[in-house]
This record gives sequence, structure tokens and C-alpha cells, in this order.
Amino acid sequence: MTGGAAPLYEVRNISKSYGSVKAVRDVSMAVSSGEIVGLVGDNGAGKSTLVKILSGVYAPDEGQLLVDGVERHWKSPHEAMEAGVETLYQDSGLALDLTIGANVFLGREKMKQGILGKLGFLNQREMDKEAAEDLERTGIAVAASRRKVGQLSGGQRQAVAIGRAVAWAKKVIILDEPTNHLGARQAGEVLSVVQAAKNRGLGVIFISHTLPHILQVCDRIVVMRLGLVVRDAPTASFTAETLLGTITGLHAGELGVGA
Amino acid sequence: MVARPPSDQEYSWLRRLVGNQQFILLLVFIALFAFFTDRNSVFLSVSEIGNNVTEFCTLILLAVAETFVIATGGIDLSVASTAEFAGVVGAFAMEHQSSHGQALIIALGTVVALVTGAFVGLVNAVLINVLRLVPFVATLVTLGAGAGMCLVLTGGSPVDNDINAIVMTRPEIGPFSYPALIIIAITVISGLYLHLSRFGRYTFAIGSNPFAARAVGINVTRHTSWIYVLSGTLAGLTGMYLFMQLGSGSPTSADGAELTAIAAVVIGGARLTGGSARLTGTVLGAAILTIVSSGLIIMNVSPNFNQVAVAICIALAASMQVLRRGARKDA
Repeated sequence: MTGGAAPLYEVRNISKSYGSVKAVRDVSMAVSSGEIVGLVGDNGAGKSTLVKILSGVYAPDEGQLLVDGVERHWKSPHEAMEAGVETLYQDSGLALDLTIGANVFLGREKMKQGILGKLGFLNQREMDKEAAEDLERTGIAVAASRRKVGQLSGGQRQAVAIGRAVAWAKKVIILDEPTNHLGARQAGEVLSVVQAAKNRGLGVIFISHTLPHILQVCDRIVVMRLGLVVRDAPTASFTAETLLGTITGLHAGELGVGA
Repeated sequence: MVARPPSDQEYSWLRRLVGNQQFILLLVFIALFAFFTDRNSVFLSVSEIGNNVTEFCTLILLAVAETFVIATGGIDLSVASTAEFAGVVGAFAMEHQSSHGQALIIALGTVVALVTGAFVGLVNAVLINVLRLVPFVATLVTLGAGAGMCLVLTGGSPVDNDINAIVMTRPEIGPFSYPALIIIAITVISGLYLHLSRFGRYTFAIGSNPFAARAVGINVTRHTSWIYVLSGTLAGLTGMYLFMQLGSGSPTSADGAELTAIAAVVIGGARLTGGSARLTGTVLGAAILTIVSSGLIIMNVSPNFNQVAVAICIALAASMQVLRRGARKDA
């Protein structure tokens, strides 16, 4: 973390229960500008619930969310987006029947100038052009903007989804399992996009089960188990073995508890 | 000369044309037109083309409405019953108004029919978005309610009034009456909005992936509500057009037309699960259905065969889609 300034996005003492099940218990974590924070944990550790709180899908029962040190309460994911927090969900959230350009600009369309724009007509040419530039800038090379997303391969779709999120994120980007179902080469492309986002000064929260990817790109790793954060430390302090141990709560990893 | 493979551009141009449902539909339309003309040259007469235009205009707004609804992944079974209901209510509104000029009375009747149609659309929207009924059930409810209300209001017989509305359907420009021209203009504007506007973009986004649409901040509930209100309004306008043709508000004038409208959309290449539709396809689908039914009449085929012909058209169009999808996967 950079000293002095408030982190870009921070949660303090967050708790969330479903009935009697405490999914997230007193969790605190933060991400700073130009930092990639890995969020790992076994199934049921509370990662998904935490992600949904971070992205504005759920409101926490207790605790605070702060953007640039200012407390925020998201009423919807859209509100979080407007504040600069973009989330890429596991199921990627693209409309397959729309073109790449239409998907990149979905919900933030550019309108034609003058009367036509007032009547609700889109400036599709401009959107196609900017979408291609945005995707290129984030390090993604996909086919022309006018192709339908449904015609792309799984990896290309994921690239478009990530490119869209990175292009629009003003502050923080939350990537939930972005390398799932991808081949090695495509996963590598995704990781370089994540690096590029970091270099642009975005804060990245990277959720994955693929530990080599986590160890490769993250600056810091937050490990969750049974709803608690059990370890929050720089990546350098983990090896593949100790990270796995911390996640599962067996042998070596126990050393980290309470650190 | 050395043969060379088509360049990327040529290739995609050619492929797009052959793989383009609209282009094939246009060929089918021209072929049918030529066939019927060959059987009986009356088919090409001004009066017969006028009849076709009238039939087409009766169908097209319902088909346009259905295109928008189907693009969102919904369905509206109530359009025909709404058209009848709006026509009847409009006819009642025009009764006992003879102290005013005819144009004013017709304008009044049109406004009443539009508002009636919009109201039924709003009821659909409430059933779907508030009571959470699936569109099929919700619009089945309003189909029944609308048809029932027509019979309650009229006792089953047409509502006559002293408006000479039939004069409105007289051809003025070529085979086109003024109301027909208005309907065609509305169809064109609808196509522009479906394919080039933000409203249309959201319509397809919702039909393609409602979760993605919601995630980017599209108000899916509000948008689909507007779609059903739009559908009802277009049905209301069709009701007024039927009134002008018949000179009375008939409670049964459009019976079964919702299925023909849906057929036009399906023939036009739309996917019933939403996300994919072309208004030009719908227009060609409606045009093909129109000339098939009038062509059969001109060939002295019993009108009872009409529904069978519509069914065959749907089956052909649907299997064509399946074939095209298969071909694309192989490529």
C-alpha cells in the first residue's frame, strides 16, 4: 500500500449473513491505485459474497465501504459502476446477439449529434471505432467491432468482457475468475490485460482458483476461509505450498493466521 | 486467366447475401408474385394491388408490434383482440358526434382507439412486470378479456355510426390510401427505431441477455413495459384502420390475426427466444403472407385453405432457418 493517501477502495469490518449462515465475518481489505490484489479461498470461503458486496449487488449487514476514503452505500451494481468500480462476473455478462461495439458501449451509448441524437438515434460508427481503440489499448486484439459476440470463441468473448470492464473502469476493476475455461495462451493474454490495467493506475481485485495465475500477477494476496480473512500479505511471502496450505487451513498455512 | 479465390471482402459480401434471410424472402416474394400473375393477370390490376395493400396494412402494424415484443424474448397474443376492442371503443366514441366535422370525429375516434390500445398494453405490462406472469399467459389473459369485452359492449354485432369512414380507405396516391401511407410510414419509422436507436439496442440487449442488460444499468422492467404499451398502441391503430375498412366497429374483425402477425415475424427470421429480429424480414414475411392468401383466392382455391397455406409458409421459413444455422456451423 502506498503510505499516506487513502486506498482507492476499502472495506472495513464487513459482515453478511444469509439466515443463520455467516458468509462473511468482519472482513477488512483494501486495494490501492496500480495494485493487483488476489482474493483466494476454497469454495464456501465467502469470496463470492464479498465480491457481490464490493460490486454493489448486496449491501453488507455491517461494516463500511470507502472509495478514496469516502464512505459509500451502493444501491445497485450500476451505482458502483458510475463511481468507477467495474466488475467482471464469472458468466461474463455479454449480450451474445449484439456486436462487439454494441456490447462495449451497452448502457453508455454514444448518440448522434443534434436532433437525431435527441430522437434517440445511436452514433454506431463512433462507438465501433472507439470500441476497437479501447480494446486495442487494453491489449486485446479481436475481430472487427461489427461482429456479433456470439460468433466469437469463448476466449475472445472473455477478452471483450475484460476489455470492456478495463476500458470503463475509472478506479477499480473486480475480476471474478477471468481465466476460467480458457486455454493457456488465452489465459496469458488475460493476465497481460490485467497487468496493463495496473499500469494504467487502476486498482485490480483478482479472484481465481488458479493459484499460479494469482502468484504470477498479484502484488498482494488476501486469503479467505470460512468467511474470515485469514491472511493478507505481499505475494512474495507466499510459495505455492504455503498459499495452498493457508487456503485449506492445513499444516504450513496455519502459521499465517492472525498475522 | 488465373482463377483466384474471392477476397475476404467479396467472400463475406457474397456469403452475407446468400445467408441473408431477407434476400431469400425477397426472391420468394418476387417468385410468388410472378407465379400468381402468370396464373391470372388480374393479380397485377390496380384494384387487386389495392386489395393487397389494404390487407398488408391490416397485418403489418400487428407484425411490427410482435417484432418488438419477440425481440425482447416475449410474446403478445392479445394484439388482434386489442385491435377489435380498440376499434369498438373508438366506434362508440364517434357515435352521436355528427354536430362536428367528419375529420374531427375521425381524429377523436383514432385518439380513443390509440389510448384504448395503450391501456391494454399497460395491463399486459402490469401482469408481466408486477404480477410476474410469463408474457404468454399474461397476454392470453388480455386476449380473452379483450374479446369478451368486445362482445359485452356490442352484444356481438358491429357498432355502426354515421361516420362515412370507408371514404378514408379510397386510394389517393397509386394504390395507397392516406391511412395506408401513414401505416407504411409508421412501419419505416419503427424499423429505424428498432435497428438504429438506443431504444432498439436495449430491446435486443434484453432479449439477448436480460442479466447483462440489468448489470449495465438498463431498466429492464421499464423498457419491457414500454414495449407492451407500444404493442397495444399499434394494435389500437390497427383497430381504427379496420373500422375505416368496414365502416363499423366489429367485435370479430381481426380474429386470429395475432397468429398471422407472429407468423410474419417468424418467417422474417426472428428468433422466438429473443435477441434477434429484422424489421425488413417482418415486412417481407407480412407481404408474402398477404399475397399468398390473395393469390389463392384469385386461383379459386377455397379461402378455407388459407390457414393451411400460412402453416406451410411458417414450416418452410422455420426449416430454412435451421438449415442456415447448420450451414454456418459447418463453415
